[in-house]
Amino acid sequence: MSRFVNERVFVLLILLLVAAALYASTFTQSFSDVGNAHSPVFFPRIILVLWIGLSLIALIQTLISAPANTPIVGLLRLAILIAAAVAYTMFLNQYGFFLTSAAFAVVCLVVFGVRNPIIIVVYAVVVPGALVALFNHILKMPLPTSPFTFYF
Amino acid sequence: MTIRTSAAALALAVCFAAPAAAEFPERPINLIAPFNAGGGTDLLLRGFAPHFEEAIGSPVFVSNMSGGSGTVAASALSGQRPTGYQMAYMSITVSTIQPQIKNVPYDVDSWTPICSVAASPTLLFVNNDSPFQSMDDVVAAVEAEPGKYVFGSSGPGAMTHLTTVAAFSGLGILDKLKHLPFRGSGPAIKELTAGNIQFFGDTEVLMQRGDFRPLMVFNDERLENYPDVPTAAEVGIEAPLNELYLWGGLFAPAGVPEDVVAKLAEACETAVNSEGFQEFATSSGTVINHRGPEDFEAFFRSQYEDNRALIEAAGL
Amino acid sequence: MLSSLPDAFAILFTVEGIATLILGTTLGIVLGAMPGIGSTVAVAIVLPFTLSMSQAPAILLLLAVYAGSVYGGSISAILINTPGTPQSAATCLDGYPMAQRGEAGLALGWATQASIVGGLVSAVVLIIAAPQLAAFALQFGPIETFALILLGMTCIVSVSTGSVVKGLLSGMIGIFLSLVGGDPIIGEFRFTFDNWQLYSGFNLLAVVIGVFALSEVFMRASAKITSVSELVSFRGIVFPKLAEWRGRRRNLAKSVLIGNVIGVLPGTGAATAAFISYAEGRRSSPHREDYGKGEPDGIVSSEAANNAVTGGALVPTMALGIPGDAITAVMLATLTLHGITPGPKLVEDNPVLIGAIFAGFFIINLLLLPLGTLLSRVAAPLLRVREAYMMTAIVLLCALGIYFVRGNPFDLLVMGLAGVGGFILRRQGFPMAPLVIGMVLGPTLELTLRQGLILTDGNFFAFFESPIALVLTIVAIAALSLPLVRAALRRKPA
Repeated sequence: MSRFVNERVFVLLILLLVAAALYASTFTQSFSDVGNAHSPVFFPRIILVLWIGLSLIALIQTLISAPANTPIVGLLRLAILIAAAVAYTMFLNQYGFFLTSAAFAVVCLVVFGVRNPIIIVVYAVVVPGALVALFNHILKMPLPTSPFTFYF
Repeated sequence: MTIRTSAAALALAVCFAAPAAAEFPERPINLIAPFNAGGGTDLLLRGFAPHFEEAIGSPVFVSNMSGGSGTVAASALSGQRPTGYQMAYMSITVSTIQPQIKNVPYDVDSWTPICSVAASPTLLFVNNDSPFQSMDDVVAAVEAEPGKYVFGSSGPGAMTHLTTVAAFSGLGILDKLKHLPFRGSGPAIKELTAGNIQFFGDTEVLMQRGDFRPLMVFNDERLENYPDVPTAAEVGIEAPLNELYLWGGLFAPAGVPEDVVAKLAEACETAVNSEGFQEFATSSGTVINHRGPEDFEAFFRSQYEDNRALIEAAGL
Repeated sequence: MLSSLPDAFAILFTVEGIATLILGTTLGIVLGAMPGIGSTVAVAIVLPFTLSMSQAPAILLLLAVYAGSVYGGSISAILINTPGTPQSAATCLDGYPMAQRGEAGLALGWATQASIVGGLVSAVVLIIAAPQLAAFALQFGPIETFALILLGMTCIVSVSTGSVVKGLLSGMIGIFLSLVGGDPIIGEFRFTFDNWQLYSGFNLLAVVIGVFALSEVFMRASAKITSVSELVSFRGIVFPKLAEWRGRRRNLAKSVLIGNVIGVLPGTGAATAAFISYAEGRRSSPHREDYGKGEPDGIVSSEAANNAVTGGALVPTMALGIPGDAITAVMLATLTLHGITPGPKLVEDNPVLIGAIFAGFFIINLLLLPLGTLLSRVAAPLLRVREAYMMTAIVLLCALGIYFVRGNPFDLLVMGLAGVGGFILRRQGFPMAPLVIGMVLGPTLELTLRQGLILTDGNFFAFFESPIALVLTIVAIAALSLPLVRAALRRKPA
């Protein structure tokens, strides 16, 4: 990692580019032209300009001082967990709370170092199962169910 | 998209060609409130659900899906299979206004109307210490000082906004007033009390929340509780702006089989007319207005057309 | 009001009344303490039950769950650095560092005592001065509210641990996220790129839970995995001795006052109060140098203020019929269902019911002490489980809680992505509290600014014709510049 090519610089550059793109989009998207205070992009533009300015300052600060990040101990572990968490939140509605939660619990427990298969399976079935039983069937505040049955 | 639709249609055909439909309902029915738990729509639906459950003979539960002035729930429901197990309670704004002003994935043809449940006329009102006693006073004052007076709303495109637009556009003075939208009726009512806005429009129940004076009512006749308050037509507002009701009813996605619609509609009618729900309506100030599937569909479609005038007037 | 208290007590001290208060408060604390499940979801869970209850117990149940969950939110904020609700985000700043030092029990003790004082004082204020305070609230129109929110925004500087620039940047990202969706004045969609899922915008709770709770899980997965929980020494609440309160009472009193005043103003809310109070403590407390490193005053500032809001929010609700926040709006709707019209005559027409509600609210705050102590003892062994079990449970509960906030599955994905984004930003030293402030205050800042400009025909300088707005703006400028002046003065002698 050099002083100019590192994680911090990279993240700040992305923040800067995102803000610039969003700012540009306020001109390309069609908005009704109704004068300053009435315009829907009046306030967002102020915020985006501040965002761009601040990320420039932060970028310069980082380039001057170049502090190091705390290293990630288990990169693979982390990557698996992040992928699992995003997939979980994405598919929860489609496949129901129970199935997705059980699958996520297995991954999460393994990532955090649990190796006993019995514990993993029991946890993955009992915890989401209890929540589904409580909310769907006792409180009648249903969580999403799977396409296969309306019980879970 | 077309592949998905045809796949859904195929799945449907398979599902409902079988005699299984005769056994409807065989699992719990979900009523969706497109607003937050604890709001007016939600509580109405929760008061209605037990009676509907009794009439249909299968468990019925209410769930909430809020956001985007109700369009998020409606958009999500419109993409579901029309099994009749999922219905939403949609109001005039969610079903007829929002789809005409926003780019949402549903329109007038996306629904199977099941039944209407409630319809309350709206009123235009002012604070009780306001100098305005009649709409004539208002018109005179606004003409004398254009740009001075402000009307509020609970948000752009909301029922409260449409009421004030119908009033002032109907009288031809809309562009001489300022519109100040708020987030929800609560803050707007506060500003009406404080005097930062002069006019607000909502239903009778909401008007009673404050010390307010009605100036006109968007109904076909005068209200029982306010015999001295003129109707909009009497004030000189012409159709279609002279009548405005906050109505709502149950909608399922388009294409629900007829026998299922019949069962749902029958249960809805029984529930609406049940003693328990009538009692609930009295205590909560709900004005019951029941329509069967055919009537409701015709009403819904005519409202969809009529409200275009309002949308244009409001500049939405 | 006071003369109806005997009748009010007659309603309260029945088996049903007492049971409602105890059960409701317990449930509120437990639900509030679960990461992801905040006041909104807690109230949604009990709402169906209130429909079949009579007037007073129905409202008391809602109140108990509300007050309990606001207090409960501080528990998860302190123990696992994940605020259950935005209003306890400021509690994390000092509560969690204390817990990391092994003083979790003591941190909870401070939070409990501060919460109770905040709640009790606000209950008394509610009983004796509701009409006067309601009249004060009416003085706050859009322009005054704008100035107040501007003052709130200056808190971003004080809660920025580490780099102020990064704190401000976090704040801007937060404000921007809150702007996605429908425009509040003309209703057009912004930054949705024709995707209807985005029409309702990014949900505040989904983002808050993502950047705090989920990113915390990722942080821990990226570090060395420990099989033992860091809460291994946690045995329950430890109360600070009375002598330890010496030198902290002024801060407590100020925090309670801030909470009360801000709570009274509709549409500002508990999170605003907690942050403003925290910023004020950081400016004036004798322990200000230790803020952010596990200083009890930081916990006191935040907790006393956010609990004082609960009583404050009832003022406009009861005196004017105008809900102070989302939860009091639910209460009003429930009253309507029970045949009571909320409005200016609410207290006049129903003195006994309102008396019972106010007295019940006082009792609920008293109940926080024994129930908090008891529940923390019961829960302590559960919290000492392996990190793996705890982290998995946190993610499942967060998903469940976020699903119930609006019933919108899209919010789940928002939470997931906010977790990833929060994790990346936290690694670069971005503080997350400013992001929450930005998201909480952003929409009101924009709405009131534009409302004000409509009222003054686009003349921003006309805002300062309002004395309240002028004073608040001066305070905001002072709050921003004082730390700079102080720093400059300190540098000179050296």
